[in-house]
Amino acid sequence: MSFVCSLSTLYRTFLVSLLPLFIAGTCAPSVPAADTLTIYSGRSERLIKPVFDAFTANTGIQIQLLSSGTTELVNRLKAEGDRTSADLFITNDAGSLELARTAGLLRPLNMREIDRAIPSQFRAPDNAWVGLSGRFWIVVYNRTMVQPDQVISLLDLADPKWKGKIAIPNSGSEYLQAGVSVIRATYGDEKTRQFLQGIKTNADNQVYQKSSQIVDAVAKGQVPLGIVNHYYIYRHLAAQPDAPIAALMPDQQEGGMGAIMNVAGIGIIKSTKHLDSAKLLVEFLVAQAGQKLFAELDKEYPLHQDVKTDPALVDRKNFRAALVPLTKLAELREPTLTLIEQVGLR
Amino acid sequence: MSTIRQQLASPLQLLVLATAGIILLPLGYVTAQALSADPAVWRRLWATRIPELLFNTVSLAASVSIFTLILGVSTAWLITRVEFPGRKLWEGALVLPLAMPTYVLAYVFSYLLGFGGPVEHLWQLVAGPQARIFSPHSFWGATIVMALDTFPFVYLLSRSALLSMNVSFEEVARASGVSRLSTLWRVTLPLMRPSIAAGIALVILYVVSDFGAVSLLRYQTLTYAVFQQMTGRSDNTAASILSLLLVVLALIFLITERWFRQRSRFYQTTGRYRAPQRHRYGWLGALAVTGYLGLIVGAAFIIPASLLIQWSLSPEAQATIDSRFFGFIWNSGILAACAATGGVLIGLPLAYLASRRPTLLNLSCLQAAYAGYVLPGPVAALAVLVLFTTLAPAVYGSALILIVAYVIHFLPAGLQSLEPALQQMSPNLEEVARSLGLGMRDTWRRVTLPLVRNGFVVAWVLMFLQTMKELPATLLLRPVGFDTLAIRVWMEASEEYYQLAAPSALLIVLLSLPALALLVSKDWRAA
Repeated sequence: MSFVCSLSTLYRTFLVSLLPLFIAGTCAPSVPAADTLTIYSGRSERLIKPVFDAFTANTGIQIQLLSSGTTELVNRLKAEGDRTSADLFITNDAGSLELARTAGLLRPLNMREIDRAIPSQFRAPDNAWVGLSGRFWIVVYNRTMVQPDQVISLLDLADPKWKGKIAIPNSGSEYLQAGVSVIRATYGDEKTRQFLQGIKTNADNQVYQKSSQIVDAVAKGQVPLGIVNHYYIYRHLAAQPDAPIAALMPDQQEGGMGAIMNVAGIGIIKSTKHLDSAKLLVEFLVAQAGQKLFAELDKEYPLHQDVKTDPALVDRKNFRAALVPLTKLAELREPTLTLIEQVGLR
Repeated sequence: MSTIRQQLASPLQLLVLATAGIILLPLGYVTAQALSADPAVWRRLWATRIPELLFNTVSLAASVSIFTLILGVSTAWLITRVEFPGRKLWEGALVLPLAMPTYVLAYVFSYLLGFGGPVEHLWQLVAGPQARIFSPHSFWGATIVMALDTFPFVYLLSRSALLSMNVSFEEVARASGVSRLSTLWRVTLPLMRPSIAAGIALVILYVVSDFGAVSLLRYQTLTYAVFQQMTGRSDNTAASILSLLLVVLALIFLITERWFRQRSRFYQTTGRYRAPQRHRYGWLGALAVTGYLGLIVGAAFIIPASLLIQWSLSPEAQATIDSRFFGFIWNSGILAACAATGGVLIGLPLAYLASRRPTLLNLSCLQAAYAGYVLPGPVAALAVLVLFTTLAPAVYGSALILIVAYVIHFLPAGLQSLEPALQQMSPNLEEVARSLGLGMRDTWRRVTLPLVRNGFVVAWVLMFLQTMKELPATLLLRPVGFDTLAIRVWMEASEEYYQLAAPSALLIVLLSLPALALLVSKDWRAA
């Protein structure tokens, strides 16, 4: 017994020395105050933080940001349920927002500001999520290695002549999943399977975690072509105007599917205790000032009709978008994932 | 003799049982999920991903262990058996790579060896402007990074063995006319075998559960695939299936290691009376040794660290150093200290009982504790999250949940040094102390504790280091506003913003250094 006693004495000494550390550890990050909003963000912190900083400067409301993967955050919100500390959820994919809505995580909104600013095809029917900016899943190419007329459609990239010459995002990325969903809805499963098989072979180990890495690889000439969200191309060009890259808007041919569009959007968490502040943020983001930030900082397409697109981008009037409604991305997702897995995309 | 065994009272036994139970819960959760999965999911995974992932994981583990075996044992032998200028300096320098997280080394190497990177430029000077080197985003890239990062485990344990070994064995062999090389082969290495096996096992478990390096180098292993499945899909059935395979795979490695160790159990019959004699090399030998060690330490630490310093001094990086940055430092340090202390507290009874009362039950409890390490970070994280939200929702969202995941995840790292420390100490010593009239408490305080103190210190330091570097579980479990330095490195490095990732990476390295200094200080070596 005395052995156990001495062991427990030892333990007590350890624990006592540990306690202050632990208390400090759990309490050190300030408990979110009334004028602090906690946001789960599936968007790259680099792209979204300046926008929130502008909001804080305007209103004095602080933002606590938890940046992570979009699907990962949906999983986390589901696991946390009503206990979550999140007030809002912002992501890079309408499908994920719709999934969060159907899981009952988001709060329907009745706000005139939203109805006025954002066209109805870019938000949920009950405004539980609202699109903030548009993005297109398109082709980036190295101008010294490829002629723009060599690729008409995204599906061309599955052609064996591009073996070892394309870079693609990994299969966990929500825009790849959304893109494949749109292709499935347009052309059916069999053609999509062939496409996936083709790009899997052609990309080989050029499978990247981030779009910015793909653009980088294309700019360096490591690989001639890549599939990315359009704004990574323009952000790269804004930082390095001499980079030999350009955007190629695919599937614009007669009868073609049109460029694959998705939106980044935001929703208020159902259990939020800071509804007024959260509404204020949504209002800020859909208003002209907020929309300008998405357009200018991030090179995305603003969804507010009165806000101008960055002049460097292809004018929105000059190309067509694919006709698959954004809300359908959610129901398309599960079979899309099965298909992706069957093909064995990384 | 039997008094000690009997007096290991049952409360300790109960504590051990409870600990093992808690550690096994996440494993149980994952197993249940994997086994209850639709057979169609299993079939699909077998047809598409599993063969490739299994092959990649096993071949990476094999190649890294071969490299670390060569690097670790050779450097340990040089340091302890050869005298050359600067030996003491190298003795410490060889541990430095432990301060370098795999993902930091991976991102530095993907710059160094990358397309259009400095090494390729050098090579093009030799082989012509069109020449290309192998891509770091490959099997060999992952092997190099993992081996350079993990060989100090083998080095440290081999070195400990060489230092605490009774030199009489070698002297007897030499006196009987056995050559120096043959002595090394037939006496020294077999005596080191338990330590080497323990080191290699640590390396393999590390490789198998590593997420940071393989994801940045885009080398598909089971752990990476699990993370991709978990973050890319809304249900984690496929992730559980892959995790279960991972656990089975790691168990095979563990059992193999145990088997080796069982076959060679040595007790130190007497204390070490004096330091082993060091062979003095001529200037050519000394130069060769210095060159060899310099190459290893240069590639694994000096070059990466200089790059990190250079990047940290760039204006882009300087702009990120603000009050937020100091919050990240605080978060990292406090989490790691809590996890390491918790790990020692939980690991000690497990290791002690398994070594002093090696009943089937106690050994099983100890083995159970090893499961945490092979449960990849992301899955351990998710399992802990689900368990806590079901059993104790109140603590959810605090740092506690993260610390529990850390302890479960890194306990094996600590046990790897707690266990040999207890094993090497003959139970006779305690029994003698008791027979000479010392009480249980005094025996523990004056005999057991001083003898196992080294093992404790090493265990604490190893767990502290690994926790501070931990990535996937932190990514998944961190409370809001609790980003650590590791998270910051990951966020920037995964987009190849090398400069922006550098200050956090450098700080992880710097914070790890005092802990490493402790590792190589005389304090724990002398015993």
